[in-house]
Amino acid sequence: MSTASSDHTSDHAHAPQTEGHHEEGEVHVHVNSPLFMIAIFAALIVLTVVTVAVSYVDLGSANTFVAILVATMKASLVATFFMHLKGDKAIHSIIFIGAFVFLIIFVGLSNDDLATRGAVDVDNGAHRLERTGVVAPGGLQIPAAPAAPAGATTPAAGAAAPAEHH
Amino acid sequence: MSSATTTEASHSPVEGGHGHGHGQHAPFLAHHFDTPAHQFDSAKLGMWIFIATEILMFGGLFVAYGLFRGQETEMFHQAHERLDKIMGAVNTVVLLFSSLTAALAVRQSQVGDRKGTTRWLIVTLLCACIFLVVKFFEYQHKFHDGLLPGHYFTAHLAEHAHNGHVLPYRAHMFFALYFMMTGLHGVHVLIGMGVLSWALKRNLDGKISSRYFTPIEIGALYWHLVDLVWIYLFPLLYLVG
Repeated sequence: MSTASSDHTSDHAHAPQTEGHHEEGEVHVHVNSPLFMIAIFAALIVLTVVTVAVSYVDLGSANTFVAILVATMKASLVATFFMHLKGDKAIHSIIFIGAFVFLIIFVGLSNDDLATRGAVDVDNGAHRLERTGVVAPGGLQIPAAPAAPAGATTPAAGAAAPAEHH
Repeated sequence: MSSATTTEASHSPVEGGHGHGHGQHAPFLAHHFDTPAHQFDSAKLGMWIFIATEILMFGGLFVAYGLFRGQETEMFHQAHERLDKIMGAVNTVVLLFSSLTAALAVRQSQVGDRKGTTRWLIVTLLCACIFLVVKFFEYQHKFHDGLLPGHYFTAHLAEHAHNGHVLPYRAHMFFALYFMMTGLHGVHVLIGMGVLSWALKRNLDGKISSRYFTPIEIGALYWHLVDLVWIYLFPLLYLVG
């Protein structure tokens, strides 16, 4: 198979692939036609234009949702066709989607942690930390003197630095 | 493959029943694989597991991004306007196109078209170079504006005040995430270029055929991963609603 003719029309390209290909133990793959792959690329470009266009329209919080949705559609196209998940062994799709499942668990639990900090122990006198400015006992000790280490009192001490220009 | 007998038996279709000698081995078939298909499937399985770990590595940054954005929605919106949407969009198109050419390189290797494989791999590498050049100009501008992470963030100081932009409170958080996410992605672009160059060399050396195109396939899978990450980075960083 040194120099097969550079045929770009779809069906003939299968010929060198399929000849003598069904031997036991040889690699079997489905070969996509170049035109089909260019069509996938065109769809990706259209979706990119859509996502840029939508960013100029104010849809409130729906903007983020649309952006993520379009990005996921693009990623699905790349994974399904360019990365050959379609027609491939199911285990590859399971591993790929599994990574996202664990990512969702990661996001979910981290978000839950952040959203409920300081509020879980209300009965014991803890108070919600966020937005209220009230320190939750148990998590943070209120220092007696203002000379206490800065890190203990204000978790946002490092973050406050760029505020100097205000 | 429980016993040695079965292993020997399954060698035979490829090796002409030669047993364990090297004589009839297909030159690309490693000793510890029964058949080319076995070798190909193992390589792909390993690559997909690696891709899953890569998604989870980037996932940490995406989670940080999501949580900070949830708390600093307005800041993220104001800070992101410092990024160049046009440059981001150009790089998106460049990477999508390079994904197409990488897929075409795999396709040509599958049908045994060595020249076509070489051509598409080179186009893919050129796209990678264009991406990095655009990224360089973007970074240069951010460096100049003092938007670097950590205590290198100086955009709020007097020397940068003349340009008239007032950065929102805690804007350094956005730019730290911007540099970490695009930086890690940029490292992946560089590694991807290395992988594709290696695949290109294997192809030029005549090691690739329609029976054995694993290096092209694996290299392209890595490159598609680089593309996948950017597909999410672009709207999240450049198009904050």
